[in-house]
Amino acid sequence: MNKHSQQSNSHPHLKHKTIQSYVIGFILSLIFTAIPYYLVVNQYLMGRQLLLAILGFGVLQMLVQIIFFLHLGRGPKPFYNVVFFIATVGIIMVVVAGSIVIINNLHYNMMPSDQTKKLVNDEAIYQVSGTKTGACQGQHPNHNVAIKNGQFDPNRTLANQCDTLSFINTDKVTHKIDFGPQGHNQPYAGMTEIILRKGLSKTITLSDSGSFSFYDKGSIFGGSTFTVVP
Amino acid sequence: MVEEQKLHHHEVLEAEATDRVLFGFWVYLMTDLLMFSVLFACYAVLHNNTFGGATASELFSLPVALTETLILLTSSFTVGIAMVAARNRDKTQTLIWFGLTFVLGLAFLVLELKEFSALIHEGHTLKTNAFLSSFFILVGTHGLHITSGLVWMTTTMGYIMKRGLNAPLVRKLSMLSLFWHFLDIVWIFIFTIVYLGAFV
Repeated sequence: MNKHSQQSNSHPHLKHKTIQSYVIGFILSLIFTAIPYYLVVNQYLMGRQLLLAILGFGVLQMLVQIIFFLHLGRGPKPFYNVVFFIATVGIIMVVVAGSIVIINNLHYNMMPSDQTKKLVNDEAIYQVSGTKTGACQGQHPNHNVAIKNGQFDPNRTLANQCDTLSFINTDKVTHKIDFGPQGHNQPYAGMTEIILRKGLSKTITLSDSGSFSFYDKGSIFGGSTFTVVP
Repeated sequence: MVEEQKLHHHEVLEAEATDRVLFGFWVYLMTDLLMFSVLFACYAVLHNNTFGGATASELFSLPVALTETLILLTSSFTVGIAMVAARNRDKTQTLIWFGLTFVLGLAFLVLELKEFSALIHEGHTLKTNAFLSSFFILVGTHGLHITSGLVWMTTTMGYIMKRGLNAPLVRKLSMLSLFWHFLDIVWIFIFTIVYLGAFV
């Protein structure tokens, strides 16, 4: 990296020290990988706290790499490197934080809510990827379909239009639910497949009326049907 | 006496050349970092735009990402040890540690390509939605860097075997090791923001 470290490595004692710095850096980087991983897997923290925690460990990890592996800031005149690095980090902050703030703001302010509502009502679109739109407003009853050991319970649901249907995965595995009779996919309200990881649920709005069915892609058991009355 | 002075003069010139070259390479790395930061900004902005498709938490596997991270961290360590050997002009040790780094880098690349091909096979491609576009571009750009690092490593190891460890080659190896540590840092943020971030 610089004159100093070039010469220092030829000295046995200093060589030993350099290796020691790599070993310390390696162990620290393993620790700083393991902690955020376990935080996320076990969900010890939630939401913003978790995000800040893992980002914090990411930055720590970067500092470990810079100090123990890149040896930035060591020796007599590496300061151009450090200055250049700090300047780059500054520009990155502006670019990344600026983009996120500006685009979020744009997203919030440019949301054409009036046009969306008009379009939704004109075209009778009741939901966009499972989320209710203006056409199905107000409170409507919810129906549950639980998945136990790959089987649907109940296997027949009767509902009114704009009611909601919740798929609840009570199994320890991920289930993929496809709309349509077994082996013949027919999308329901624009949705083809619902992926449910263990213990999770997903609620959809029953915007289209008629008789429909769905089945579990990975299960040998039959599917389930639901009828939506207008 | 004069010979000795000449030798010393030569060493100083070499060290100055190394400093200059490494600073130039550092400038390149910083501009590369800027490019990655823009790709990160893209991902941060677009990662929820799934167009009704599968979300990040439904697609990514944390154990695979963790394995990739551990492989890359280890390779960053082995490249450091390789540089210590190279600065001591220990040809065998240098080749062994760089060889190990190469194997780790290749293992990482294989895992990444497997992940990509599984996603594409299930119909989650670059064209599916803005989230997947930004994901494939960000992670793929890093993968391309790893690939070019592996090619660079291969050619440099070939030169070492042919010509032995001379000063210009050690300089080249120093740049290569900087490049590799740099890719490691970029990956740490991919791991944190893309993979861990998907489950927040």
